Amino acid sequence: MAMGGTTEMTIGLAHYLTVSAILLVLGIFGIFLNRKNVIVILMSVELILLSVNLNFVAFSSWLNDLNGQVFAMFVLTVAAAEAAIGLAIVVIYFRNRGSIEVEDISTLKG
Amino acid sequence: MFVGAIFFPLLGACLSGFLGRWLGDKLAQWATVICMALAAVCGSLAFAHVAMDSQPATVPLLTWMDVGGLEISWALRYDTLSVVMVAMVTFISTLIHLYSVGYMSHDATPTRFFAYLSLFTFMMLMLVTADNLAQLFFGWEGVGLASYLLIGYWYDRESANRAAMKAFIVNRVGDVFFMLGLALTFFTFGSIEFDTIFPAVAQHANDRFAGLPAIELIGVLLFLGACGKSAQLGLHTWLPDAMEGPTPVSALIHAATMVTAGVFLMARMSPLMEYAPVALAIVTVVGASTALFAATIGCVQNDIKRIIAYSTCSQLGYMFFAAGVGAYQVSVFHLFTHAFFKALLFLGAGSVIHAMSDEQDIRKMGGIWTKIPVTYVVMWIGNLALAGIPFFAGYYSKDAILEAAYAAHSGVGAYAWVCGMLAAFLTAFYSWRLLILTFHGKPRADHHTMEHVHESPAVMLIPLLLLAVGAVLTGAVFAPFFVGEHAHEFWNGAIFNGEHNHILHAMHEVPEWVPLAPTVMGIAGIALAYVMYMAAPGLPTRLAQMFSARPQLVRRLPLIPAEGEEQQTEPNPGGLYGFLLKKWYFDELYDFLFVRPARRLAERFWKVGDARIIDGMPNGVASLAAAGARGAVRIQTGRVANYAFAMIIGLVLFVTLFLIGR
Amino acid sequence: MSWTLALPELVLACSGLVLLLAGVIPKQETFFPITMGAIGALLVTAVLVLGQGEGTALGGHYVADAFSGFMKILALGAAALGLLLSIDFNEKEGLGRFEFPVLVLFASLGAMVMISANDLMALYLGLELLSLPLYVIAAFNRDNARSSEAGLKYFVLGALASGLLLYGTTLVYGFAGTTNFDRLADAFSAAQGVSAGVIVGVVFVIAGLAFKVSAVPFHMWTPDVYEGAPTPVTAYFASAPKVAAIALLTRVLLGPFGDLAAQWQQVILLISFGSMILGSFAAIGQINLKRLMAYSSIGHVGYALMGLAVGSDTGLRGLLFYMAIYVFMNVGAFAVLVAMRRQGRAVEQVEDLAGLARTDLGMALWMAAFMFSMAGIPPLAGFFSKLYVFLAAVQGGFWTLAVVGVLTSVVSAYYYLRVVKVMFFDQPAGALDRAPASLTIVMAGTGLFTLLFGLFPAPLLAAAQAAAAALLG
Repeated sequence: MAMGGTTEMTIGLAHYLTVSAILLVLGIFGIFLNRKNVIVILMSVELILLSVNLNFVAFSSWLNDLNGQVFAMFVLTVAAAEAAIGLAIVVIYFRNRGSIEVEDISTLKG
Repeated sequence: MFVGAIFFPLLGACLSGFLGRWLGDKLAQWATVICMALAAVCGSLAFAHVAMDSQPATVPLLTWMDVGGLEISWALRYDTLSVVMVAMVTFISTLIHLYSVGYMSHDATPTRFFAYLSLFTFMMLMLVTADNLAQLFFGWEGVGLASYLLIGYWYDRESANRAAMKAFIVNRVGDVFFMLGLALTFFTFGSIEFDTIFPAVAQHANDRFAGLPAIELIGVLLFLGACGKSAQLGLHTWLPDAMEGPTPVSALIHAATMVTAGVFLMARMSPLMEYAPVALAIVTVVGASTALFAATIGCVQNDIKRIIAYSTCSQLGYMFFAAGVGAYQVSVFHLFTHAFFKALLFLGAGSVIHAMSDEQDIRKMGGIWTKIPVTYVVMWIGNLALAGIPFFAGYYSKDAILEAAYAAHSGVGAYAWVCGMLAAFLTAFYSWRLLILTFHGKPRADHHTMEHVHESPAVMLIPLLLLAVGAVLTGAVFAPFFVGEHAHEFWNGAIFNGEHNHILHAMHEVPEWVPLAPTVMGIAGIALAYVMYMAAPGLPTRLAQMFSARPQLVRRLPLIPAEGEEQQTEPNPGGLYGFLLKKWYFDELYDFLFVRPARRLAERFWKVGDARIIDGMPNGVASLAAAGARGAVRIQTGRVANYAFAMIIGLVLFVTLFLIGR
Repeated sequence: MSWTLALPELVLACSGLVLLLAGVIPKQETFFPITMGAIGALLVTAVLVLGQGEGTALGGHYVADAFSGFMKILALGAAALGLLLSIDFNEKEGLGRFEFPVLVLFASLGAMVMISANDLMALYLGLELLSLPLYVIAAFNRDNARSSEAGLKYFVLGALASGLLLYGTTLVYGFAGTTNFDRLADAFSAAQGVSAGVIVGVVFVIAGLAFKVSAVPFHMWTPDVYEGAPTPVTAYFASAPKVAAIALLTRVLLGPFGDLAAQWQQVILLISFGSMILGSFAAIGQINLKRLMAYSSIGHVGYALMGLAVGSDTGLRGLLFYMAIYVFMNVGAFAVLVAMRRQGRAVEQVEDLAGLARTDLGMALWMAAFMFSMAGIPPLAGFFSKLYVFLAAVQGGFWTLAVVGVLTSVVSAYYYLRVVKVMFFDQPAGALDRAPASLTIVMAGTGLFTLLFGLFPAPLLAAAQAAAAALLG
């Protein structure tokens, strides 16, 4: 694992992993700290998937193994489908309720 | 063939029960009849194969359960004992199915009836072909359940429901003992497979359980279980009440199945019972007492089906004391012949009831023998067989039992012989009382009923005739095999007799007057009945009044004795007559000892338990549960954010746990 | 490359596409014929699964063995029964659109891929192929606010869960260097210690799968989604996806991560405890039957996972056995729920069952059988399933697990029996409509299974045994 020096910095695996971990945490926090808009949640989900892809590609290059990149392609594809379905559900939800406030999605409880 | 005999009835039950609505009543009925007939054919072939050609077989079906060292498998055990039962049960059940097609023709839901009937037969077959005690217990319980359904078949009748409940509860009392016996067997032998238990009995002969000899204890417990099913003294009260079911049910329960289960159990467990002399002595005493006791009651009953029911009870007593003195073969022989003539009597009685527009009181019959000649003749044959008149079926088996009791040369054997002789006399007496009151004398029914007296349709008469042939021939034909010179090859080790048990030889070497005595008693009984009911018809009432404490009440007695609370208010003439009429006050005794305290207890439980704990949930554990429920529900806020948060908390918790645990 | 091994999946995928086309082309609504076609395709696939050989295919991504066969048959059977339940309901609720059976078909395909996954990539694809149609059918009643809320909730939390799972797979991939299950197993058995990265990865994967089986603490979505989704959808949710996820969880934990058992056992233990306790307590106060069944299903997953926590072959056998019986009694109970209508309107409260015994004895008896069975009362099927997992727990020395299991099943008996009490002893709240034939058949079939199973448990037990042996090797 290469770590950066003081004068010139080499970007190594650890950096990628750190960035991706930060993205993951951001995404997760986006889901449960956000009180306003469902769209933000969808974006957070994308953020998580992004962190995953970053991980995959980083590991793939570090391991010299293509599997990770193949996996990343699959994740991208599925993410697109997931986003489409998610948006469709948000749309019908909006049609029924006239709002996409996160706070409102709580009629089912108990 | 082996499997078919058992599972055709189940197929019939399923066809009628589940597809009855699609098949239609007619088709469903005949489907069950045909299934039963196929089973009977299989049963007869199996009988020829196993009993006559001496080729016992065990047909493994599959492993049932395998829990903690207790491995139980389903298998059909075909030896002479079980194949005798299978052949008899399937044959008689077929005839009863056929008869029911006619008898139940006016019923609203015949498919249900036929499904129950076939199910009942299947359970009984399961019981007799059981390879281990668990399978036997399954059949045992199944028979109990099916009988409950059948007795309570007319569930809109209050009395039928009550009788069904009574049968169920009394049987349950017996089942508790059976289960205890089963558990003790497993405890003692470490297995409940017959093949493992029987060879091991000799090794365990001196085992003790709680200071008592284990084998004796098992024997007594199993006998008590048998008492429940076979209606022996003490647990007999359900049997006469079971007459509330349709008549074919009475025939099936009292002739071929259910009640014979207890006798079968004794014969099946003969290798074990042989090592339990005390248990056998108890069996003998209880059996002999039942034989006499039930016969005395039979003499004063007025319901045609109840008289026959008490006679069944009495005959079962014979079977038990035969087993008690070690003559299991004789016991099973009587079971076999009895099945034919008792089914005949019940179906004949059903035919009479059918003819008399559902009248069951023999005091309201009479003078109908010319109108229903076939029924009349078959009833004669049935009663001749029952009374043990020479060359009819009952003669061979009943004589053999009394000879065995005499030959036992023991105190209990002598007691059994005396009781048996007296019961033989009373049996003949009440049988002819029934015959004479039902068919002879002046008609006592109203004009309207008499006009409608008619012979039953052919579908009912054919079974009657076939059974009549059986009641005449089975004794003479099968006696050499069951108890005579071929007995050893016939049984082929299916029933075990201990080393010192020479009863089968000894019974043939009794003094010459012993085989004659039962016949003499029987004829005397018939003669007395003739004198009392034909020659001097006023005599019975005078006798009844003479032996009553309140003679004026004799005539006001209702037909079916009431139950429970109403029983107290019913007219009771008292004295010896009242004592017999009230069946030795057994019901009253049980009512006082068990039913009322139990009801009080149940009421208390209900008030304290159900009303307060279940409905109100105020106390300790229950309120804790309610509080837990509220707590668990409170986290379920409905907010996505909270749910996601819970997931992350869980995740973090687990990661921590993992990293610490590493 | 022996792609023919994956023939059942290929057939199911192709028939899904064909049915989709066949549904679009005709002018009129094609819900009923397409549903029938889908059920047929599921059954054909099940037959193919029965005749399937054993081995790995598709570059080691796909594995077929006795275990996968057992679970696939269960999942396919549950899907077919679920579709059968939907026919009448969807038509009456105006949901009779042909997309529904096609979506269920693709979800089942996802379930099959999950069950046969032998690579983290196949695992992920199977999981998503299962999840995406589920998001849609949860919100299938698109004009209903509750249904769309259920869909949205399920989507958001499901996406989060699959994100976590994916993140876990990246870590496992990165630190172990491969995504193939067999090579992962080799890597872990050879290595002395395992790096923290892998451990964290495994926890993330467990979390993602635990979400799908709705085990505590990843269960929160379950009651809401079960309540909001159309009832046949709930019936499907509670059976096939659970089977697939349990199968995958079992395969992942016992296969590649089998050597880390000491670590994950604790987690599964906690999940099992939590699910049993929550499932039995939270259901007590419920008045909505679907919600009650949601908590009940959480509890059942807890009992099933008990077998996995034990980890022995008897434990695994208990788990498989439990799932099989659970699927049947669950579908049966949902058939009753689907059939509950009064004057054409679907009702789903516990009180709506009041006095059912007097108005429709048959349905009341079946429901009573399911409830008794779920409560684990002998001699019904549910008793045997509990018996075997408890037995495995005791044999494995997990006494606390068995004791908690018995105690929680006593608590849960309370709410099951309450349903029976309401049906048999309360005053009728007006008769329910007559159940259509399709539902009666499902009720009777699963009911008979529940009632009579006790007589012949051996074949299923033997199958579960064989499946467990295939996995443990």
